[in-house]
Amino acid sequence: MDVLAWTALFSPAAAVVAIALLGERVDRFAAGLIAAGATLFSFICTVAIFFDMLGESPEERSEVSTIWTWLTAGDLRIGASVLIDPLSVFMMLVVTGVGFLILTYAIGYMRGDEEERRYHAYKALFIFSMLLLVMAGNLLLLLAGWGMVGLSSYLLINYWHQRRAPVEAGKKAFVMNAVGDATFVLALFVLVQQIGSLDYGVVFSEAPEALGEGSTLAVLVALGLLGGAVAKSAQIPLHTWLPDAMEGPTPVSALIHAATMVTAGVYLIARTSPLFELAIDVRELAGILGAVTLLAAGLIALVQTDIKRVIAYSTMSQIGYMFVGAGLGAYGPSMFHLMTHAFFKALLFMAAGVVIHALSGEQDIRRMGGLARELPWTYRAFLVGALALAAIPPFAGFFSKDAILASLIDQGSLGVLLWAAGITGAFLTGLYTFRLLFIVFFGEISPYAREHLHKERFEGPVSMMWPIAVLAVLSTIAGFLQVPGGWHLVDTWLDPVVESVEEASGALALFSILASLVAASGGIAVAWALYRRPGDRPAAIRKRFPWAAETLEHKLYFDEAYDLVFYRPASALAAWLLGRIEGPLVLRSLGGLGTGVRDVSDRVAAAQTGRVRAYVLALALGLAVLAVVFLVVA
Amino acid sequence: MLGPGIAAYLILSVVLFATGAFGVLIRRSPLIILLALELMLNAGNLALIAFARQLGDGDGQIFALTVMVVAAAEAVLGLGLIVAVSRKHAELDVDRLTSLRG
Amino acid sequence: MEILVAASAGNVLVWIVWIAAALALLASGIAVVLFVNPFFSALALIGNLASLAVLYLLLAGEFVAGAQVIVYAGAIVIMFVFVLAYLGGRADAPWAGGPTLQNVVAIVAAAAIALEVIVVIALKAGDELSDTAEIGGSFGSPAQIGELFLSDHLLAFEVTSIVLLVAAVGGVILGSALPSLEDGDEG
Repeated sequence: MDVLAWTALFSPAAAVVAIALLGERVDRFAAGLIAAGATLFSFICTVAIFFDMLGESPEERSEVSTIWTWLTAGDLRIGASVLIDPLSVFMMLVVTGVGFLILTYAIGYMRGDEEERRYHAYKALFIFSMLLLVMAGNLLLLLAGWGMVGLSSYLLINYWHQRRAPVEAGKKAFVMNAVGDATFVLALFVLVQQIGSLDYGVVFSEAPEALGEGSTLAVLVALGLLGGAVAKSAQIPLHTWLPDAMEGPTPVSALIHAATMVTAGVYLIARTSPLFELAIDVRELAGILGAVTLLAAGLIALVQTDIKRVIAYSTMSQIGYMFVGAGLGAYGPSMFHLMTHAFFKALLFMAAGVVIHALSGEQDIRRMGGLARELPWTYRAFLVGALALAAIPPFAGFFSKDAILASLIDQGSLGVLLWAAGITGAFLTGLYTFRLLFIVFFGEISPYAREHLHKERFEGPVSMMWPIAVLAVLSTIAGFLQVPGGWHLVDTWLDPVVESVEEASGALALFSILASLVAASGGIAVAWALYRRPGDRPAAIRKRFPWAAETLEHKLYFDEAYDLVFYRPASALAAWLLGRIEGPLVLRSLGGLGTGVRDVSDRVAAAQTGRVRAYVLALALGLAVLAVVFLVVA
Repeated sequence: MLGPGIAAYLILSVVLFATGAFGVLIRRSPLIILLALELMLNAGNLALIAFARQLGDGDGQIFALTVMVVAAAEAVLGLGLIVAVSRKHAELDVDRLTSLRG
Repeated sequence: MEILVAASAGNVLVWIVWIAAALALLASGIAVVLFVNPFFSALALIGNLASLAVLYLLLAGEFVAGAQVIVYAGAIVIMFVFVLAYLGGRADAPWAGGPTLQNVVAIVAAAAIALEVIVVIALKAGDELSDTAEIGGSFGSPAQIGELFLSDHLLAFEVTSIVLLVAAVGGVILGSALPSLEDGDEG
């Protein structure tokens, strides 16, 4: 089983190396095939591992395999090891499965681009990094994967590096993630100091003693880990990079900023749950942050005009749900929602990608309209995704979101508060999702679309359409893995690793389900009223609440606040340092060194008069002096 | 040994050397400078011969003969230079021949 | 200084010759340096060389004395005189001029060198310089010089021949007709 695991891990890495080394000798289509094929191979390996695991009893399902000792420092030994257990296999299935579909989609989407091979290589690099992250057997290797996914994200966001906006977005993403990485590393330092190891098994068993329950150290460790998770998963307050990351190509947004990388934060909380158990307050803080993000993102999504940005804020919001679930101990439902979210969010992005592709790159929804007639299959796929997102049964989102909500309602006052936030969020989700759907697909075909629309035989290239079909099917049926009040396959599967709290029983669960259905349907109804036909109702509402509209359009002014608090002081400080310290001391002293030497040499050169008699005189004088010296010394 | 001791010869040698040095330092004509240079060389020779006599070793005389050869060679080249300089119609004045100035 | 006057009556002749030669040496040396006309300086040099030869004879360096007269006075000075004749009027150089800093310092330096070494000699005259070795009759004879040249100092002997060759070549090159500059450039 461990051979399969290592093969699955290194297969995408081999693809990257192959594409890089083969360079122009392999044609662009082949490069895409290599990347997608490697991911498929990893998926097959993972499925094999999964079936292997099914054959074992639940307690036995965890295996650590180390291939060499990576790092030694004093007593600290860190190996290059992978951990194969239910949680990691679960993530691997999602990453490689959805990843394969998206990489295939990308072959069609990116065809004709200038540097297509580079794109596929980066995608494969990302898959490798993500697998490293979820398969890591110790926290340091997880951090390595963590950093590498950040790198891949950066490389892919500013893939079109000739334009200014992607470059700035990439930098922003990287820097914000670096803040999270810093807190993460600080947590690791504490762990190394207190426990002396970073292997999961050792850390989790020794932590209660070494850190103590509820102690300052435990809180610090948990906060550090939470910081990393918040940055990676784009929760408030480290969320401003995600909308900007939409500057990357659509498949990138689908893979990295919807299905996999941004969910790494949730995975981290689940994986290190024993550490969070020692600092329950911090875990609850995670839930609170998730709830705040869920609501804020939902509100902002109401006024967005770029098709991808709406979906991005939706991602932020849904991950908020996952954080809420994890924050109150419902790890299983959170991971379940992670999986279904990967399916329908990727589906939505990919369908949006078909629209964008058909309109030759246009992303502004105000220029779209009536596309349901032109792109019927895309519309249907998008509809499936939207229904799943809005949590309408029988689609997948319903089951997973309700699993979370059902677990919340039972968890004390904080749980009820977060539950209420979740229900409000469901209303908002229905509203913004269907607003998007109606504006883009309903009504009359817009003038812009009439001019620029170009369709292929199946509305998009074949390689783009069939992954969409697969994901649509999955978004429909995947929900049935876990039915509240019925069976809990996901919870059970993950049980050996993370124990989830019990969901609410009978009546409460039913109440929760009904409440969320009502909220979601309400949202859809409002959207229907406002947006089904182009009208001026939205504009009228806007006029009634101008202040609210402004705030939402400025994304709650987070960017402005960060600019004021962090960026301006930092650049002012840098300018001051340059002027006062670096300029005079360093630069000018270097210049001064040069001119100083030149001055001295000019003066010395004045002694070379060219007159022989002067030289001889110097000789004679020197001789006289030396004679005295010899006299005295000898 | 008959006559004054070695010290006397050495003092003579030094005075002659100083005279030659003085001439090199003070004259401006390269020809005179060469002549003064010969004086210095001869002073050295005198010291060598004196020491050879004092130590009873013929090596000093060999050395003096070699110095004489070198002096001859140097005189040839120095005079050749002077002739070449005068062919270029430059003044034979060392204070004016300063093109090797730094 | 006592050593200097440790003369016995049988030395009187030697002393007289020595004093005469020494005076001639110094006088001619000063003459070389101080005459304005270079031809007179060259003639004074001949006198200098002759007195040196006498002093060499007093120091039992017969061969060297002979070589001195033949090589120096007979060849080198003749070369000087030839060049002087070739240069004619151009050889006259102005006297160095009045008391410039260079000249004053020159006097000081020369005097200082002389003085210092004399002091050393005077100090050492007592111990090291007081014994002179006994020499045989063949000391300084051509036979001895020849033997030394061909045994201990063979390398020096050969090298001197190369030096002379180089000097000859150099002299020919320097003396051959070189392209002259149009304007009287400084050398």
